[in-house]
Amino acid sequence: MSAILLVAVPLLVAFLSILTKKFAPYLLILVGLFNLVMLFLLQDGTVIIGGFDQPLGINLFLNLYSRIALLLINGLIVIIALLNIREYGKFGSILLLAMAGLNGLVLTVDLFNFFVFLEISGIAAYLISASNKKPTNTFQYLALGAVGSSLFLFGLIILYAMFGTLNMSAMITAITANDNYTDVILPFTLMFIGLGVEAKLLPFNSWVKGVLGNSNTMSGPMIASVYAAALSFVLGRLIDKLFVFEGTLLTVVTVILTAGILLGDMMAFSSKKTREILLFSSVAQASIIALLFVNGILAWAVWLIVANALSKTVMFLVINKAVKDIGCDETKSLRGLFTNNIIVGIAFTLATLSVMGMPLLVGFIIKLRFLTSLAALGQIWLIAIILIASLIEGIYFVRLLVKLWFKEDNEISVKYNVSFKLVFVILALALLVFGTYTAPYKSITIDDSVTEVILSD
Amino acid sequence: MIQYAAIILFVFGLYGLFVNRNVIKMIVSLNIMEIGLNIFIISIGFNYEGIAPILTSTTANGLIYVDPLPQALVLTAIVIGVGTTALGLAIAKSIHKTYNTFELDETGDAE
Repeated sequence: MSAILLVAVPLLVAFLSILTKKFAPYLLILVGLFNLVMLFLLQDGTVIIGGFDQPLGINLFLNLYSRIALLLINGLIVIIALLNIREYGKFGSILLLAMAGLNGLVLTVDLFNFFVFLEISGIAAYLISASNKKPTNTFQYLALGAVGSSLFLFGLIILYAMFGTLNMSAMITAITANDNYTDVILPFTLMFIGLGVEAKLLPFNSWVKGVLGNSNTMSGPMIASVYAAALSFVLGRLIDKLFVFEGTLLTVVTVILTAGILLGDMMAFSSKKTREILLFSSVAQASIIALLFVNGILAWAVWLIVANALSKTVMFLVINKAVKDIGCDETKSLRGLFTNNIIVGIAFTLATLSVMGMPLLVGFIIKLRFLTSLAALGQIWLIAIILIASLIEGIYFVRLLVKLWFKEDNEISVKYNVSFKLVFVILALALLVFGTYTAPYKSITIDDSVTEVILSD
Repeated sequence: MIQYAAIILFVFGLYGLFVNRNVIKMIVSLNIMEIGLNIFIISIGFNYEGIAPILTSTTANGLIYVDPLPQALVLTAIVIGVGTTALGLAIAKSIHKTYNTFELDETGDAE
């Protein structure tokens, strides 16, 4: 058994499921569970495909870092599929394709193969966004995504022309041996912009508002949690090892990312639509994660991705279900949503407070840790900016929570299924439990693990 | 030299994509951009004196061959491009069905 099955099985079943459309969602859940079981059985290490060893062939690499990413991706896809099995059952084949693409993206060591998986997961994402029934927004997403992946391909081909290899570890060795940083600024910039489009980094993310602002109970959590988490993981891996940002490029990237944090939070602050508040907040969080990777704070960036993905899944599911029942996503029309749904309200509040970084929740530990790490690096300005952004975030989230908890004269009724409530409770409990019981994830040292992600031998 | 032509074609496509608001024209621009990129990839491995990369065949100058890897990459890139175009056209059809127009500005909900 090898890690290739994590990509091959979903891809094969995706095509087979077209023949039996009725069973597609069930096949999806089965394949998701199969992948989760496989992740516990598989050994760490490199998978050689077709007998061609590095640097000639395509290799996959599984280790702790990719294992965390894959557990999160496959677990969340299974949860989202279970919740939407009746309503969005016909999207089963597409979610299988997304699963294959994202798993491949996390596992592959070959840059061109990476591009192929980027396109596979991209095409699946456009199709998922088509479930919003807003074709113009889907089209804009497709156009921007195609430009992003073309720029990524452009960058990697320039790298191939310079170093004659597509294998990441061979390329890193070649770049280190070359020791002339100015040569690689252009390809790195192109690749960073290309990935920035998919990873929702400002200013390359103009598609986000149209797609997530009209999202539903499937497309919202899929794009905002699963795709965001997967892309953050791969961006982190590339930033840490391949893109060595130095000098002016480092300044430019830091400015872009800090501007992303501040602008994201300010746009969320000024928005009156609930889904827009959530999506701009996740834009700001994506920039924080990328900033942590740029500064080499790997372990806490990883846990921030995990915590954010879980919180955002709860938040988007709660709001998108309510918006679907009420038919409007202005915050004022959702007033008093939680007065009749106390359990859902508590779960949503816990998820929001965790994103804000309130004590007793997992977000607090992570925020404290990465701010301490930034302080140790002497990045006082970054800490100041993140704290200002957190303040803005605190204001708009508390304002949102107050509105959702206290009703005025309007009466709204939103019914959440037992399955929805169960998922909310489990995820919120996880955020609460790991906020106080920190031993399991503090003991795992991811830093070494990330380092060996690409330098597998 | 051919690299410059490829980059100009890529930039034309990019320009067209951002300037046009007609869905079909945007898809055409996307294709022009992809063709530019494909020519660029091919040009990376191209060699004027090169021959087919077969180990036993040599010229007077020894074995100078055209790098076959970029050609293999372009094949994949073309297939992906066709996939994206097909999906784009399907979405264009759906836009036309919903709004009875191909102009994004006339649909009312474009940003």
